[in-house]
Amino acid sequence: MEQHSDTFLENASAALKNSAQAERRDFIALFAPLIRTAAVEGFAEFDTLRAHVKRVRQHSLDHLEYYLGKFEHEAVHNGNHVHFARDGAEMNSIVLEICQQHSARRVAKGKSMVTEETGLNSFLQRAGLQVMETDLGEYIIQQAGETPSHIVAPALHKSAGEIRALFQSKHDLGARELPETVDLVSEARQVLREHFMKADVGIIGANALIAENGYSMLVTNEGNGDLCANLPRVLIVCTTIDRVLPLAQDATAMLRLLVRSATGQAQTCYTSFYSGPRRENDVDGPIETHFVLLDNKRSDILGGDYREMLECIRCGACLNHCPIYTSVGGHAYGWVYPGPMGSILTPLLTSLEQSNALPNACTSCGRCAEVCPADIPLPDLLRDLRHEETTKKLNAPRWRRGLKMHAWLARHPPLYQALTGMVIPVLNLFGRRRGSFKRLPLASGWTGQRDFPAPQKGTFMQLYKAKLKRQAAQEAKRNHEH
Amino acid sequence: MSTSARSDIFSRLREVSRDASAEQIQRERQALGTAVAPAPPAPGLCLGFLTNVLKNRGSVDCASSRSEAVKAIGHHLYSHFRSHRLVAGNDPRLAAMPWRDAGVLPRFGSLEAGEPVALSFAQLGVVETGAILTWTGRANPAANNLLPEHHIVLVDTADLVATMEQAWERITIESEKNGRPRGINFIAGPSSTADIEGQLVYGAHGPRHWHVILLGNIPADALALARSSASV
Ligand code: SF4
Repeated sequence: MEQHSDTFLENASAALKNSAQAERRDFIALFAPLIRTAAVEGFAEFDTLRAHVKRVRQHSLDHLEYYLGKFEHEAVHNGNHVHFARDGAEMNSIVLEICQQHSARRVAKGKSMVTEETGLNSFLQRAGLQVMETDLGEYIIQQAGETPSHIVAPALHKSAGEIRALFQSKHDLGARELPETVDLVSEARQVLREHFMKADVGIIGANALIAENGYSMLVTNEGNGDLCANLPRVLIVCTTIDRVLPLAQDATAMLRLLVRSATGQAQTCYTSFYSGPRRENDVDGPIETHFVLLDNKRSDILGGDYREMLECIRCGACLNHCPIYTSVGGHAYGWVYPGPMGSILTPLLTSLEQSNALPNACTSCGRCAEVCPADIPLPDLLRDLRHEETTKKLNAPRWRRGLKMHAWLARHPPLYQALTGMVIPVLNLFGRRRGSFKRLPLASGWTGQRDFPAPQKGTFMQLYKAKLKRQAAQEAKRNHEH
Repeated sequence: MSTSARSDIFSRLREVSRDASAEQIQRERQALGTAVAPAPPAPGLCLGFLTNVLKNRGSVDCASSRSEAVKAIGHHLYSHFRSHRLVAGNDPRLAAMPWRDAGVLPRFGSLEAGEPVALSFAQLGVVETGAILTWTGRANPAANNLLPEHHIVLVDTADLVATMEQAWERITIESEKNGRPRGINFIAGPSSTADIEGQLVYGAHGPRHWHVILLGNIPADALALARSSASV
């Protein structure tokens, strides 16, 4: 997918001006945390489970070579073809080759962020294949020529009215007006059902791969991924090498965290495990099945300082709880993965040079780490990336000079205290009448919208010392009285 | 397949993986133990299962005998479709049902276009999440789960398990006996989507209606209690 992360600030400003979309984001910010909290509170041992799954994930990643090898062995034993791809281009070519071997013309696709990452759809389309996204949200944005704005609910930025207008322009509706949401869903169901019936190849992602038995796990509410996995004669599962878990029970343990964090359910409507092609006495199912397992820098991340990011289970909770994401939306981040997880993954999977604005899109409020079911210290990783940004001199020289000066001052406490002690009375002079400033030099961007509170009289150190002095005096007075 | 991609990736992983023998790794995993599961919503497997099915927006019925189960199916078919027809997989348990007791006319096989109702006999019911479990094969073609308007599922009380871990134990027994099923499907509700403005709509791709009939020795007040605890 084409990347626009370098213009994050411009993208964000434009997004803030779209008030209709901002309202829908406010809705996510309000509603998603409520349903997550209810689900998590309904499961008293959620934190115990989170710690257990974290240990299992760390163990799997510690021994990824072993578990990936074991998965491959079991998957081949189950009758699959297993392919490995170093990067997105390799994954796309492998998928195309499989389609061509089967003279395929139509592809039905389930939701997969990995194939968004590799730009698989446009690659296959350029080769003449008809590729149809079948998850309703993905279908809507594919028809609109847009990209996902959320990793779980990709079309939440669009209103029902916009979707109606889209279907009116793309579908042959005759006199039908599709007044209600349920009519829009039925319309998509109808169109996609026909595509399922005609598709030669189904492509799905995987929420986990199970080393002990070679199954992949697929979690959906619509059931579209299952239609992709069962109806076409060829099935291709596209995922990344870091998704492997040791045991089947590990996948369902992780599921308990994933679903509560993503949609507030105990289990989605469909949780399916697929092992391979149809067996001798089966009446249905694909005759050939493939796994395409992508690295695309995961093995580098595994060996580096951001390794915990590989434990992300793509639940979307950090997006829903992030004040930046819920203000500016997913498109502002300019690539596949938005929000806190995206602000870490994007620099790692593309480059910090292309996306150094993203780790700065953070208020350090810490809500993401609080809700992350994978217990990833997201704010710490973001801070480390900002540190790297400064070390690599990727931020503006003015900003770096300021930081340097601040660091130098902080290492010289007397000077720091003297200087801040001088600034505060000056600021107070400006703001003393109202307790706040209407205008501040160099900060018009802030004071243009709101007042800036005037500081207390004195720095923290001055107030602290004065308090100590007062306490000592009181103590002395008490002693004297006794 | 590009063997060099495979060997590149594996040699890279070797560099960053911790050194250990297969036995050590397995022991390490074993030492991590099993996950905790949520407590059931109500005491007793039947009540817990019925409650969670209702919470998943399924409709439920109870039947104490196969004859009663057939009548419950007949009633559902007639009240929704004014018909007695449905499609069912080639499951010996379904073939042996006393269909005549309610005049139900099953066709055994895979659902075809224009057929609105399919019936499955679940392999398991999972109390923890209110899911039913089927696996693919002649007894339950995938289309029967995924394509009807209404999916009716029979669950025997003897096949209720408390947790997903216990479900895997039963799946492993099946795999050892008859080989690994191609597809294992936990189903926990009618097909749904909230992709348009977050509004929940049923029947996104699959069934709009999911009807579960629990068959066996069920406490008399279970259904009423489940209804009241699911609505809390
Ligand atoms: S980082 Fe955590 S909260 Fe964010 S998507 Fe990944 S698992 Fe979910």
